[in-house]
Amino acid sequence: MAYVNYRTIDVDRLDPDSSINFDTSTLLPPLVPVSAADVQSLAGQIRQLLRGGDAEGALIGALQNAPYGGDDKAKEVHLATVIEILQSIKQAEMSPILTRIYQSEGGSETLDILMKYLYKGMSLTQPSSVAGKPISPQPTGFSQITSRGGGEGSGQAMSVLLSWHEKLVEIAGPGSIVRVMTDRRTV
Amino acid sequence: MAAPEVHHLFHSPIADHSFSADRELLAVARENNVELYSHTGNRFALKDELKGHEKVVTSVDIAPQTGKIVTCSQDRNAYVWEPSPTGWRPTLVLLRINRAATFVRWAPSERKFAVGSGARVIAVCYFEEENDWWVSKHLKKPIRSTITSIAWHPNSVLLAAGSTDAHARVFSGFIKGVDSRPEPSVWGERLPFNTVCGEFLNGSAGWVHGCAFSPSGDALAFAAHDSSVTVVYPSGPEQPPKAVVSVTTQLLPFMSLIWNGESEIIAAGYDCEAYRLRGDENGWQLVGSLENKSRPGLADRGEESALNMFKQLDLKGKAKNDTQLKTVHQNSINTIRSYEEDASGHVKRFSTSGVDGRVVIWNV
Repeated sequence: MAYVNYRTIDVDRLDPDSSINFDTSTLLPPLVPVSAADVQSLAGQIRQLLRGGDAEGALIGALQNAPYGGDDKAKEVHLATVIEILQSIKQAEMSPILTRIYQSEGGSETLDILMKYLYKGMSLTQPSSVAGKPISPQPTGFSQITSRGGGEGSGQAMSVLLSWHEKLVEIAGPGSIVRVMTDRRTV
Repeated sequence: MAAPEVHHLFHSPIADHSFSADRELLAVARENNVELYSHTGNRFALKDELKGHEKVVTSVDIAPQTGKIVTCSQDRNAYVWEPSPTGWRPTLVLLRINRAATFVRWAPSERKFAVGSGARVIAVCYFEEENDWWVSKHLKKPIRSTITSIAWHPNSVLLAAGSTDAHARVFSGFIKGVDSRPEPSVWGERLPFNTVCGEFLNGSAGWVHGCAFSPSGDALAFAAHDSSVTVVYPSGPEQPPKAVVSVTTQLLPFMSLIWNGESEIIAAGYDCEAYRLRGDENGWQLVGSLENKSRPGLADRGEESALNMFKQLDLKGKAKNDTQLKTVHQNSINTIRSYEEDASGHVKRFSTSGVDGRVVIWNV
């Protein structure tokens, strides 16, 4: 008889009730699907606010309409909008704006969404403005080489996100970071 | 406010702790064993060890009236320990699970207990006289992941369970012949075994660490990994709850919580200290820490001589010793339990235990 190492048998595959045979997303409330076109038109409205000088209103509007149910394209468009707003706000205005949002109704959730965008923004290796033309990662080359393609712009975008992050943690606390990690509604 | 009573038992994590009703005996889960400490003078001395589990003991509970101790472990077993002339005598419980047992609590009636497990089941265990054996019935549906905590309703029939599938659920654990028919409550009228009386989830869907029924049993609170505490007020059987209040905090997540009356919750977790929350159906708020940060021995640390500062800089490369937390617990708190209650059911003192090997008794 052939030798069977019972320890290496994946018992979960044999169990019909097993969690790997189960779609965990059904446990969560369904998300409203959002199309890329909707996000695009929303981005237009938000840019209008931004041009009008109401950066705070633009930020709140963008965060409260985060396209949880959107596809990758929609989320990418919205991320670019949010980052544009963040870059247009001066460092000295960050804390007062965040404090006002935090004290408003449902402000804690709005800041959690902002935190999601900060982390999403930081995860990009290139600035969102050139997101349209992706630099293909080379399988053999060093990853630093491709990220250098972003050049100065990438570093600057990162420093904006980092200063937002610092200010946001001061106000929303580490709880906000933990919520970004646990929440399955991604931006 | 009197200073908390700190008992630093050993230098390893405490998974769970439980006091006997007279508060003379303290059971602490330490690695594969449960250590029993007895109260002598103003400290706890090691008296006995419950050895039998082959893997890490995850939970321990002492029944207040009968004094029986139930333990469960990652070795998939649970034992009921009874005192006998020759020491503590274990009885194996037939759990029938294929994953670690994670949590155990006696029902208030003390005739049964519930064991949560990684096998996506809760084993409700009761004693079968004719076989002289603890047997179990499984609560299975609709649990989709590991059970992290269990709390019993005062009627000993309903139980709440928090799970890593981000849901807190209320089940009926009614066992024929063991339980008498419960009075109808907001959770339901007819309650056969495995009735799901409620399934709750909060907005950001963090996995649930701890849950507890309010003293009346008419509200359920649970703490989740999204640093929130959610309180559910059911309105009646088969109806949506009349209020679900969620408090998101700026803190790290809570691991465990207890109620103090109907309008106060004490919760503790990764921030290494206990916090107080107050509220009702219309809203809950974090009030603040229960720890008095201006204790002697902590405040005077700020005033140091210049010589001392340079000495520290020379020896350690830094001016301040930042390895010590300002809290009593030096690592996250795993369990919080009521230690002493007054006649009206309000908590006068509570105990916490955590990863730092300390058991601390606090005054509310």
